[in-house]
Amino acid sequence: MDFLLLLGQALVNGVVVGMLYLLMAVGFTLVFGVMRVVNFAHAEFYMLGAFGTYLLVTQWQVPFLASVLVTFALALCLGWVVEWLVLKPFRHDELNGMIATIGLAMILQNGALMIFGPDPQSMPAVVRGVTFVGDLVIPNSRLYVVMFSLAVLAALWVFLRHSRTGRSIRAVVEDLEVASAYGIRARLVYPLGFGIGVGLAAIAGGLMAPLFSVSPFIGTAPMLKAFIVVIVGGLGSIPGAALAGLLLGIAESFAGTFLSSSTAEILIFALVIAMLVVRPSGLLGRPD
Amino acid sequence: MKIRLLAAGLCLGLAATTSHAQQETLKIGALVTLSGAGAAWGQGMQHAAELAADDVNAEGGLEVGGKRYKVEVIPYDDKYQANEAVTVANRLVFEDKVKYIIGPVGSAPVLAIQPITEKNGVIVMTLGFTPKALGPDKPYTFRPNVTTAEVSQPQIDWVVATRGIKKVGALFPNDETGQAIARDLKEAYGKAGAELAATEFFERDRVDFVPLLTRIMARRVDAIELDGNSPATAGLLVKQARELGFDGAIIRTGGPATQDIINVAGKDAAEGLLVHTPIDPSLPSTAAYIEKYDKKYKRAMNGFSPSFYDATHLLFEAMRRAGTVEDTDRVRQELEKISGFKGALGEVSWTGKDRYGTDHQLDAPFYVAEVKDGKEVIRARCTSAGCK
Repeated sequence: MDFLLLLGQALVNGVVVGMLYLLMAVGFTLVFGVMRVVNFAHAEFYMLGAFGTYLLVTQWQVPFLASVLVTFALALCLGWVVEWLVLKPFRHDELNGMIATIGLAMILQNGALMIFGPDPQSMPAVVRGVTFVGDLVIPNSRLYVVMFSLAVLAALWVFLRHSRTGRSIRAVVEDLEVASAYGIRARLVYPLGFGIGVGLAAIAGGLMAPLFSVSPFIGTAPMLKAFIVVIVGGLGSIPGAALAGLLLGIAESFAGTFLSSSTAEILIFALVIAMLVVRPSGLLGRPD
Repeated sequence: MKIRLLAAGLCLGLAATTSHAQQETLKIGALVTLSGAGAAWGQGMQHAAELAADDVNAEGGLEVGGKRYKVEVIPYDDKYQANEAVTVANRLVFEDKVKYIIGPVGSAPVLAIQPITEKNGVIVMTLGFTPKALGPDKPYTFRPNVTTAEVSQPQIDWVVATRGIKKVGALFPNDETGQAIARDLKEAYGKAGAELAATEFFERDRVDFVPLLTRIMARRVDAIELDGNSPATAGLLVKQARELGFDGAIIRTGGPATQDIINVAGKDAAEGLLVHTPIDPSLPSTAAYIEKYDKKYKRAMNGFSPSFYDATHLLFEAMRRAGTVEDTDRVRQELEKISGFKGALGEVSWTGKDRYGTDHQLDAPFYVAEVKDGKEVIRARCTSAGCK
């Protein structure tokens, strides 16, 4: 293959994967930003999102996009309930909150394992074929996901910037005490923030279900990537997550295409360690 | 009158309980992968053992040395990890006190548990492909399925000759199994006149192969080899390769996975896939087993399952001939002597002395099939001597 073509293909692959990582990371960083809780169960909401969409499409023949939206709504409600029931005592207790979410993750994963079994299920493809940009190949299924994630991110941006609820979430992220002094009710903002965060994880899961398979274990690998993106981008910063997601995707793609897969993995983690040493708050995070 | 009735009732009750106690339980451990990428194989093995147990239990139990035993299969998940396998093996051998294990699935797990099982005289029927699993120093380990070492040369010779393939690319998981298979395949393709030009290793859990496939396709390979990958991973590889526009041949020289590949990649992407299959569904014994499996479990079985059904029945036969279920040394010796056994696979015997130093490898026929419209169509019949 022509070297320039290979370079271009690696870049395209990287951007596509970067968008997938971004989608996974954005919910995670939102939850951290709002509640200062590292939600280890983020992975399992991703997995539940994938299962929800899978079931709606295959059992009840709901159109794909509608399934994703319904799954988002369900995940938001589930997240709300979970935050209120399980995480409320830990709202200002980062460490124990983290541990609680680890327990939550185990319950969700093993619950899914008991209900669905360990076999990877496969969802019928939503779109088939590939799009050619010159000589570069982009599988349509991935293009679809990228476009939809851009739409979701745009919607999130509008919500946070221009809606009242969105602005109250941002106010709480910036400074809880002052926000409360202005009458913003933390009681509502916390469950809502958590619900939206895990809802975004569920959307990511639902969108990626046709790409990869659906099983109780699919959350772990993307979770690790989301973690890296959020740490490199800065905990709580959505633009930081966007930047870091793209960087990670592109770096991984180039390293995987030109070096070997193992080298790529080492490189990614070396970059994370370097970032933590040089700039611990991440690219765009707040020094804390 | 009442007291007599009561006494009679008590006696009957006691008699019932003691006669229950007469029938002992023979426990067979199923140390298999039930979660993650290798689950399809593990489930096939567990169900195979269970079906064999059902067969003898339906006749009132396994009759050995004048006693009847109810056979119970105890399954545990090793998650395809060596350390999990060791934990589970300890449990099976020391807590559940089993002397017969079906499994493990993986090469790294079987090598990890052999110190425990060989030392404690536990007979192991493993799927693990590594040649190191069998040997004169491991008298209690047997392998009922053919591996890449047995099937690759005849199949690859046939595929290269009939399809005119020159350059092959392959991806393997980065562990004992993957590396062993990579070595075997490189040698086999070389001997057949082609070249395994591009090899990529990846972590077993990976789901996104696009950069690796891009790299392989950049080397202009005629074919992609899928052997060594779990069924789910193979499906993703086929799907992503076709999505990237790869239109060369895709070959899987071992490890039955066709149903899972079709499930994940879809019928269109899987069309024309050249696969190894260890079973010929047109054989009456195999067809009967497939039906039995489908009836009880209501899902398509993995191609390795009949091997382990036969393996469990071979164990039972060896126990009958040895007249004991406790003395595994005698059972093992009888097991080795069994030849021409009629099982679900057809007629099978032990072989392998040339390659492993001991005849603990089951010799069974195998086939090269092409996937057409979601079904395997057998194109060549093979033995370790060659394919036609």
